[in-house]
Amino acid sequence: MEIIQVVNCTKDYHSDGQIVHALRGVHLSLHKGEFAAIAGPSGSGKTTLLNCIGGLDYPTQGNVYIEGTDISKLSPKELSRLRLFKIGFIFQAYNLIPVLTALENVEYILLLQGMGDSYREKKAAEVLELVGLKDEMHRLPHELSGGQQQRVAIARAIVSSPAIVLADEPTANVDQKTGSALLDLMEHLNKEKQITFLFSTHDPMVMKRAHRLITITDGTIVKDVKQKKSR
Amino acid sequence: MIRMQNVKIVLMIGWRNVFRNKRRSLIVASSIVVGLVVMMFSMAIMNGFNRQMLENTINTSLGHVAIHKKGFFNDMKLSLSFVPKDLCNAIKNIQGVACIGQRVKFEAMVQSSRSSQGVLVMGIQPEEEKCVSNIFEYAGSDIHSYITDSSNNDILISRSLATKLDIGIGDKCVVMLQDKDGVLAAHAFIVKGLYQSPIESFDKYVVYTGIRKAQEISGLGNAISEIIVRCTDKDFADSVASTINSLDTADLEVLTWKQMAPNIVQAIKLFDTMMYVFLAIIFISIIFTIANTMIMAIMERYREIGIMKSIGTQPSWIAAIVILEACGLGVLGIVAGIVITYLLVAITATTGINFAFYSESMRVWGTGTTIYPFLTATNSIVATVIVLLNTIVASLYPAYKAAKIKPIDALHFI
Repeated sequence: MEIIQVVNCTKDYHSDGQIVHALRGVHLSLHKGEFAAIAGPSGSGKTTLLNCIGGLDYPTQGNVYIEGTDISKLSPKELSRLRLFKIGFIFQAYNLIPVLTALENVEYILLLQGMGDSYREKKAAEVLELVGLKDEMHRLPHELSGGQQQRVAIARAIVSSPAIVLADEPTANVDQKTGSALLDLMEHLNKEKQITFLFSTHDPMVMKRAHRLITITDGTIVKDVKQKKSR
Repeated sequence: MIRMQNVKIVLMIGWRNVFRNKRRSLIVASSIVVGLVVMMFSMAIMNGFNRQMLENTINTSLGHVAIHKKGFFNDMKLSLSFVPKDLCNAIKNIQGVACIGQRVKFEAMVQSSRSSQGVLVMGIQPEEEKCVSNIFEYAGSDIHSYITDSSNNDILISRSLATKLDIGIGDKCVVMLQDKDGVLAAHAFIVKGLYQSPIESFDKYVVYTGIRKAQEISGLGNAISEIIVRCTDKDFADSVASTINSLDTADLEVLTWKQMAPNIVQAIKLFDTMMYVFLAIIFISIIFTIANTMIMAIMERYREIGIMKSIGTQPSWIAAIVILEACGLGVLGIVAGIVITYLLVAITATTGINFAFYSESMRVWGTGTTIYPFLTATNSIVATVIVLLNTIVASLYPAYKAAKIKPIDALHFI
């Protein structure tokens, strides 16, 4: 089943009076349970594509379907709801809420979804344990290392069992060892929970570990290959 | 529907945000504290000023309730006098009445060998007058410089009048008047004492003598000009006046202090209005301080707010977090401000604030030179509500800006 479908998607920006073509007629399909990466040099359009898929930005032309729903036609409020229930986000700079503890950051998504107190706390603690932060769950983000913060971000992204997790350069701010551990974790979650992961990256390690590598240059997908699973 | 758990998390984030940038929060809270202290302490001083102005006016001459022949209050003619008969006893029995005093009042001319001055002569019952006014205290609380025998030709004049007439205690002066029948007469008096009230205009104009002497020289016989009533509390004046009116007082007018001193009541209202204008100016500046700081805080958290929105936080939550953060700052400022103000008021209510350098102006208003500030519960509630409303108003625009942040713009924001 196609969980993500991008059809002839273009995205133009106006910059200093000039039109910048960030995406030029992109076609892309992803199936449930894929572990894919979009790679390309800076400015190639990978983050723009991820933002359009994540409902953070509207394509100038074309359509983006998430589980069959054309999200390019949804209102900002509907998109906000879609992001809350269907998509988990992992950002490059962790971006946790600084005044909430690790547990509260993870609980926050469930709270937005209207889950009850006891379920929320139990589920968040469970997911934090899964990402290896059982003993750090009551710490504030600034009391955690970069790798630990990114683990909290992963826990926050997966806690509500979304259909898709979109990760924008998730290993960019951590060392190679931590990055590798994070990839292990995400690959494990992909395998165990059948969560679809789509990364944007220019980290060779992520490209190597992705099961499918989509290469984008100048807003166009130039290569889309299935790779051997690394482990 | 607002869920309790949502309110809890919004409150929690808003409150914790207060302590994220301690220095900035301290600056904002300090500006609220300064504004609140200035506001409440100004209120306290104004309360003291108004109370003293009113109390001094009441205690110097007005009393709480006065009973005159109709028309006497506006035109103090000797013909507008009356014989109280049993009225005094009836008034004394009214609930809320502390004491009463009878007076004879007429206009006259006081003359010394050096100068002369138009005055109002008040013929008083010496003992009763000690209860209805403060003239005994103003004369130094010394029985030897106060009127003791109401039939003697003793006179009590103010220090300022004594200076003008160039006379002192034991000196003679002449009081010239037209008696009840219109006959011009002159009577010699001996200055028994000098007084100084807090009201400059009163001192320039009023002299005291015994009621019997005043009745004798004015030809009033046993008639009087007014009965002054002192209530156990000035707020009882209306009910006491109403009860007196229900007695046999057909040709008399019963006036409360509010009716006799409308200028004071108006002045208090005017001062209160001026105070609120002054406070509005202070708080408009505080609104801008808070709004400016909150906008800075939002710019600093632009990306964070964008992330919160990108993961599904509704704009209303973002706005609520910003407003609650401002309220948190407001609450801290209010608590500190109230504590500081009450300490200041507690100290100055005992020591008083000496405005001697404005003594002439203060005597015009009749407040005395030392003001004793005080606060009412209403003052504290009004100040707290105003500051909290100010804080909320100040945070509305920043909250709107925060709610309008687009996740995609925030994600590009470095």
